[in-house]
Amino acid sequence: MPEWHGWQKLKYEAELDPKFADEITAIPGGEKLANCIQCGTCSGMCPLSTYMDYTPRQIVAMVRAGFKGEVLSSYTSWLCASCYACTVECPKGIKITDIMYSIKRRAIQEKVYPKKFPIPVLAKEFFGNVLRNGRSTEMLVVIKLYLKTAPLSMINQAIMGMKLFFQGRIGLKMESIKRKKELQTVLNAMDKEAVSTGKGTL
Amino acid sequence: MPENKSNGGLKIGVYVCDCGINIASKVNVAEVVEFAKNLPDVTVAKEYKFMCSDPGQDLIKQDIKDGKINRVVVASCSPLMHENTFRRATSEGGLNQYYFQMANIREHVSWVTADKAAATEKAKALVAAAVRRVAIHQPLERTRVPVNSTVLVVGGGIAGIHAALTLADAGKKVYLVEREPTIGGHMAQFDKTFPTLDCAACILTPKMSAVRSHPNITLWTYSEIAEVSGFVGNFKVKVKRKPRYVIEELCVGCNLCVEACVFKKPAFPNAFDEGLGKRKPIYMPFPQATPSVVLIDPNTCSELKTGKCKKLCASVCERNAIDFTQKEEFKEIDVGAIILATGYKAFDGKRIPRYGYGKYPNVYSSLEVERLVNASGPTGGELVLKNGQKPKSVGIVHCVGSRDENTNKYCSRVCCMYSLKLAHLIKERTGAEVYNFYIDIRTPGKGYEEFYDKLLHEGVHFIRGRVAEINDWAMTPDEQGKLIIRAEDTLVGMVRRIPVDMVVLANGLEPQEDAEEVRRKFNISCSSEGWFLERHPKLAPVSTFTDGIFLAGACQGPKDIPDTVAQAGAASAEAMALIDKGYVELEPNTAYIRDELCSGCHTCIPLCPYNAISFNHEKKIAVLNGALCKGCGTCVAACPSGALQQNLFTDEQIFQEIKGVMSYV
Repeated sequence: MPEWHGWQKLKYEAELDPKFADEITAIPGGEKLANCIQCGTCSGMCPLSTYMDYTPRQIVAMVRAGFKGEVLSSYTSWLCASCYACTVECPKGIKITDIMYSIKRRAIQEKVYPKKFPIPVLAKEFFGNVLRNGRSTEMLVVIKLYLKTAPLSMINQAIMGMKLFFQGRIGLKMESIKRKKELQTVLNAMDKEAVSTGKGTL
Repeated sequence: MPENKSNGGLKIGVYVCDCGINIASKVNVAEVVEFAKNLPDVTVAKEYKFMCSDPGQDLIKQDIKDGKINRVVVASCSPLMHENTFRRATSEGGLNQYYFQMANIREHVSWVTADKAAATEKAKALVAAAVRRVAIHQPLERTRVPVNSTVLVVGGGIAGIHAALTLADAGKKVYLVEREPTIGGHMAQFDKTFPTLDCAACILTPKMSAVRSHPNITLWTYSEIAEVSGFVGNFKVKVKRKPRYVIEELCVGCNLCVEACVFKKPAFPNAFDEGLGKRKPIYMPFPQATPSVVLIDPNTCSELKTGKCKKLCASVCERNAIDFTQKEEFKEIDVGAIILATGYKAFDGKRIPRYGYGKYPNVYSSLEVERLVNASGPTGGELVLKNGQKPKSVGIVHCVGSRDENTNKYCSRVCCMYSLKLAHLIKERTGAEVYNFYIDIRTPGKGYEEFYDKLLHEGVHFIRGRVAEINDWAMTPDEQGKLIIRAEDTLVGMVRRIPVDMVVLANGLEPQEDAEEVRRKFNISCSSEGWFLERHPKLAPVSTFTDGIFLAGACQGPKDIPDTVAQAGAASAEAMALIDKGYVELEPNTAYIRDELCSGCHTCIPLCPYNAISFNHEKKIAVLNGALCKGCGTCVAACPSGALQQNLFTDEQIFQEIKGVMSYV
């Protein structure tokens, strides 16, 4: 039982961001979020909602009401496994999984995502690796993940790493494609496109 | 300029309506009036705030009486709204009512145009068109057609029963046609009715037997409508009477034949008990079935399937009522009005696989539970599971097949209340813990909220959250052997798993499977969901777009018994208003043939939906029966030689209207 600190269960209108819902729902089909009837089917279907600080239904309500800080710093979107069960069963056709991605992108842009939480760190390291080399070097990604999130538990994981190594499931070789320059050209072009369309960068 | 300028006596009055601010806020009405004053033959042009008001109509009447005008143009709303109003004013002023033309500058202009200047210009163009058209209007007379005083009621549920009895009590002859072997519909299957908990059978069966014995009602069960033709006041209907293999007039419902049947035990699912009970090939649908006549199901009867049966049923029937040679029959009837009361179909829970209906035997539909708690049901009113045990906990899932874009978008209106009723009955009969899983509780009705309050007091659990899924995967010892309902308790903000012995799916209401087919037969419209469409959602809720055809009950949309009965009463009153008037006035917008132009090509004859055109073999030209013509205009558009014309819509009138718009632009 946490100690009582007199936490505030009051939100002033001035603390809310009235534009937040529009920003998060600026994706194809995003406007349907407004039709949510708060039935809770998404949370009930979600295999991970039991681990979330806010259930998907609560996230939808908070996005709609403009609770920007709470939504972006919440673990919910990072726990989303993209199984799409909520999206399939939503009686109002709301693309909840897509909304979760929109929240994640926004959290990265605003640099408010949970920094020590493995899921955003893994995503960041994986993408960084692939963007640089065209391929992912799993050993490197895993080591960086543990260093940044839980360095002490690396000792335990080392045994599994050895096993995987001897089974040939994981290697020491740095993976890379041959013509990295061409990849950079493609990525730069995509970035330009992304900037010009206002969709943000990777 | 109209070509027939020779008509020197033309004096056209133009009246432009402000419609409060409906028109005046977008259209510069004064400018339109100034414009109208300068149009040819216009002698009077006026602006008025509400032309449809008495003083507005008096303007027209007075100007006609003063000899200032002899043709009338009103620029206001849609003709659907007030054409009759202004025609009447024209006629009361002393002119033929068809010396009037309406320009729609509200629905077609002010309501749909953002720009004020553009709206004013469009209003002027429409006024110019109306002025040119009215100049060549002809005086026409309405014709009267007598109305047959018999009414056909289709569907023998509570809606059809109430409508038929109301009409019959008023002395009208009624044909009540029901598809099933008995009347009673869904209501006969229910145990109690909300919110008063009246026993459904106790209040329904007296009405059923009243139908059976009423001298003014001809009851045809096990019959369907095959064909409908004719028009308001004079419909011709062909009814198919399916063979029961039992002569209805001879059978007294003694059930000796049922006992004698070679099938010693009932072996086939009884539809009335939602398949939970069993029946024999020869059966009475339920004890109070009306008419009290047995029938034989040809798909299960050995005699009808193989011809090799001892026919014990026939041998015990002293009245020789069993007739294996019966064939379907067709009856033709003439009726003046038709009331459709074809009801609804319950949503099939199998369409939502995650609720496990059809997979887990203890997931029941609401209608199945109605039969289980009913004293005349398959268990004699004992609420027991398939293994014979009483459930200790029951979950009721609301909104199954309602409020869901994947199934039906609409709220089925009755499920909340019947779920509360079932929760009460289940708790009363078994003492089980009952959990209601709901999105919103909707109890807007007399005594309904009080019923909800009573249920809260009784200790029924209410969990605000739509059920995500139902399965039997136990995660704790408590959950072993139970069905687990997983849902978010949205008021708490946590996902809950609730183990229960029995699940009831509160299935929503859907249009009947063959609603589209029925709609076509009766030439009426359906909403996008398939419910029959009323003429106006507020002001004509039981009329259809086809004159003389009325709606009652759930075929028009989900509704409970009180609303259904109210609507059935309304539909019979509307039918009586039509019948008691004794005649219908037909618009003179009928087609006519200019004999000298007809080439006898036959094009129009098969096109006419009302069989109003025939061929005169002596003169070798087509002949049109004005009494049958409904003025649809199909033949007029098809005639290759222009011989067919339509009153109120002659080619010349339409051309003048077009010229009016074009010359202005």
